[in-house]
Amino acid sequence: MGEGGIVRSFRYWHEIVLLVLIGVVFAFAQMFEPRFLQLDVQRELSTHIWEIAILCLPMTLIIITAGIDLSVGGMMALCAVTLGMLFQRGLSPWVAATMGIGVATLCGVLNGLVVTRIRVHPLIVTLATMAAFRGAAEGLSLARPVSSFPEAFGWLGQGVWWGLPVPAWCFMGLLLLTASAVGLSRWGSYCYAVGMNPEACRFAAVPVNRVLLGLYAFSGFASGLAAVLFVARRNTAKADIGMGIELLVITAVVTGGVSIFGGRGNLLGMVLGVLLIHETREFVSWRWSRDELNFVVMGLLLILSVLLHRWLTPANRNTS
Amino acid sequence: MDRFSKSSRWIALMGRNRAYGIFGLITLTVMVATAVSPSFLAPANVNDLLVQAAPIVIMACGVMVVILTAEIDISVGSMMGILAATLGVLTSPRHLDWPVPLAALAIMGLGAGMGAVNGVLVAFGKVPSIIVTLGMLTAFKGGTEFILEGGWITDLPEGLRFLGTGSILSIPISVGVALVVVGFTGWLLSRTSFGRRVYAVGSNQTAALYAGIPVRWVKLLTFTWSGFLVGVAVLVSAPQLSVIDSGFGTGYELLVVTCVVVGGVAISGGVGTVAGVVMATLLMTMISTVLIFLKLGENATYWSRSIQGCFILGAVLLDHWLRSQKRGWGRGES
Repeated sequence: MGEGGIVRSFRYWHEIVLLVLIGVVFAFAQMFEPRFLQLDVQRELSTHIWEIAILCLPMTLIIITAGIDLSVGGMMALCAVTLGMLFQRGLSPWVAATMGIGVATLCGVLNGLVVTRIRVHPLIVTLATMAAFRGAAEGLSLARPVSSFPEAFGWLGQGVWWGLPVPAWCFMGLLLLTASAVGLSRWGSYCYAVGMNPEACRFAAVPVNRVLLGLYAFSGFASGLAAVLFVARRNTAKADIGMGIELLVITAVVTGGVSIFGGRGNLLGMVLGVLLIHETREFVSWRWSRDELNFVVMGLLLILSVLLHRWLTPANRNTS
Repeated sequence: MDRFSKSSRWIALMGRNRAYGIFGLITLTVMVATAVSPSFLAPANVNDLLVQAAPIVIMACGVMVVILTAEIDISVGSMMGILAATLGVLTSPRHLDWPVPLAALAIMGLGAGMGAVNGVLVAFGKVPSIIVTLGMLTAFKGGTEFILEGGWITDLPEGLRFLGTGSILSIPISVGVALVVVGFTGWLLSRTSFGRRVYAVGSNQTAALYAGIPVRWVKLLTFTWSGFLVGVAVLVSAPQLSVIDSGFGTGYELLVVTCVVVGGVAISGGVGTVAGVVMATLLMTMISTVLIFLKLGENATYWSRSIQGCFILGAVLLDHWLRSQKRGWGRGES
């Protein structure tokens, strides 16, 4: 996962900052609320974070290529609505879920095609498709919810297997696959290269378009998976699923040290970022039982972590 | 000379300023809607449309100046929420009961101050603007609920309600304010040295720096301007509602950015006009109303978001096509 060239600076400062911050949260919790750190409590609190974590995987890679995907919530909605409507027509929820994930992946491919063929900034493309997908989901379902899925399907979202929730296993499986693809194949280095300098990549015969298309399709797939887990957990499929989730996901990824300008960041940092945000939020609402403090803390954490990162690393890129 | 035939000159015109293209689209939409139901152009409906568009236009004027410098401000929606909550707490007789003019000044000042914090973090803290404003978006959202303490404010004083619902010379106050803001922003961008500097910073920051332009201060000012305009937008839009709750302003950041981008402002900075942004905002606010007037049945309104998205994609594709037309001419300018 190297970038090469910047040997003089230690590359994992951001991860260390995150670890220290997580340590601070845990130490605080140990001092004031020891029960917060018990395993079963943590497992209870973690139920909703796995979908966000799954969405963070493709988002990390996309942001590393200097792109962004704002449409994840829209793709989730379209997947959930497909799932719900097919289930209502009498299909088995498993088949319906597979079709839903397929639809979301196609949405991702569409994003990828517009980004690569027309070369519009992904921020604009996905801003448009965010509205288009969500609107299509609302239009198709007329904003009506579908519920009463069978028990067995609910297990996908609520079940516990070997001491961990099922969505956690989904996340870890996907993380393992992504990490090995990034670390072991050349596609990982391609992502960084595209983020550093796409023009140079084209000259170096890096298949820029295929890399980007694959990543946006992966984002669609992950959104579909997250939507299926969400529907299984809540036992309702509705078009307002995942509203505003894109900002949460981007916050977590960027807190994890992934540079919004591309070329920088890694999956380890992303996981730590998700962990830090999750633990801080849960601890704040556990101790003070006020949800609004959560948002303030999260926003400040995001800015603070990047500011700290700026101070700790020598200015080797003069952007912003 | 035959290359400069009538149609290609028309294309060139549209390429130079998105406003013409969108104006065409608006005319088309209005014509179709009026053909189906003539009451679309009724004064009451036009009035409603303008009142609805006014706060978005006001904020879009701020955000477009930020985007022109190749930065972005997505904190405006949440900032709107926190300022509206503050306005409610300041003026409501059951809370602080400040006089309305004083509260109005305070809200505009507070907005400018919040924008300035964004600006300082971006320009002097060197944190990317999308991160600063994303963080502020989240923080303000929490702040709003903190101020409202999970409740809402209903007892807004009459003087304040006048700001939102009143009209002078039969022009609604919000529309009048929007006109002033649009005029001033247009003047600022096209007739002052500050405007030139904004475009210069957005076109090529390094060149601007070497040319002696105080890039950091320009950026700080654009963010302050954006925050100030959010304050103005809140003053004319929050009193329209009888209730201020924590949901106020949610999602506006994306709506405003959408309007700015559809209006032809390049997200990479340096290109764009106020006229285009105003036209785009009108078009975007029209869409949901038009769907009702087209009499497609109530189910059609569920598709309005989808159509908005398609309009953005359409604008992007149009741009792409126009650029390829220009390349055919062999003209290199943007």
